[in-house]
Amino acid sequence: MKIFIIIPCYNEANNLSAVINKVKDYGQVIVIDDGSTDNSYQIAKDAGTVVLKHFLNRGQGAALETGDCYALNNGADLVIHFDSDGQHTAEEIPKLIQPIISQETDVVFGSRFIADKSNTPFLKKWLILKPATAFQNIMLGVKLTDAHNGFRALSKNALAKIKIKQDGMAHASEIVEQVKLNNLKYKEVPVTIKYNEFGQGFISGLKILRDLIFGKINR
Amino acid sequence: MNYLPLQIIVSIFVTLIVFRLTRKYKDSSLKATEFIGWLVIWIIVLVVFWLPQTTSYLAILFGIGRGVDLAVYIAILIIFYLIFRLYLKADRQQKEITKLVRNMALNEDKKEEK
Repeated sequence: MKIFIIIPCYNEANNLSAVINKVKDYGQVIVIDDGSTDNSYQIAKDAGTVVLKHFLNRGQGAALETGDCYALNNGADLVIHFDSDGQHTAEEIPKLIQPIISQETDVVFGSRFIADKSNTPFLKKWLILKPATAFQNIMLGVKLTDAHNGFRALSKNALAKIKIKQDGMAHASEIVEQVKLNNLKYKEVPVTIKYNEFGQGFISGLKILRDLIFGKINR
Repeated sequence: MNYLPLQIIVSIFVTLIVFRLTRKYKDSSLKATEFIGWLVIWIIVLVVFWLPQTTSYLAILFGIGRGVDLAVYIAILIIFYLIFRLYLKADRQQKEITKLVRNMALNEDKKEEK
């Protein structure tokens, strides 16, 4: 089975090497250097991964879509989206992809709240993530316990159907929407998120909302 | 009140703009519909400045007190609409840039493989 691990990266020279070393045993690593101004590109190259370079910074959604296109063109059977900042736990990859390997589902979302071992900051959890999850569930008609968790796996079938058009952080909601629209089977698996910093704040949340609304108007 | 100086300034301004529009239309950088649309807008501006009472008739029709108020309301609506259009256009261009950057990244990789 051809497994591709897609890592979008923007100025992550400090974490990138460690992240690549942890995940490379689980599949072919594809790093998308999203216009970094540090030496992320060289670090990824030296680690022996496939590196796709965006000349300009286009956002995480755009970088993931570039990785997905590459994977699709190169015969991937399964794709994993993985953050470059070391927030995700590589050892959880087998657990994440198992439902796709056993052909139980097309898409697996990581959830930090099923078995909450992630120590999510209190305000982030209750002011941002939980309202965002509720909003997503109501608007899209899905039943998920987490929103905007970038750790996910897609089957070949899902990869062919999901096209990320949101360049910024709104892609996470867009993927859920496309899963629903394409009637793809999905499942959540508990994952652990290590918090290095606060991550996306309230203003980012508003930007995501704006992108989603304008994305609908400007198709 | 004597509006004559203002009327003359606006008329000169509008004449210059119409002159430019005509040139652009002849150069084919403006479509016929766009040319007519802009022409109508600037003719309306002239009418409003030379015959201010016309706006009062329209204002009464819309249930607004003064003609000047109507002109301001319409101007604000047009400005909001144009900003909205610009936002959508900028957003579309951003998407096109992303496509370009993506294709370059993927093609670069193919070249390296060869």
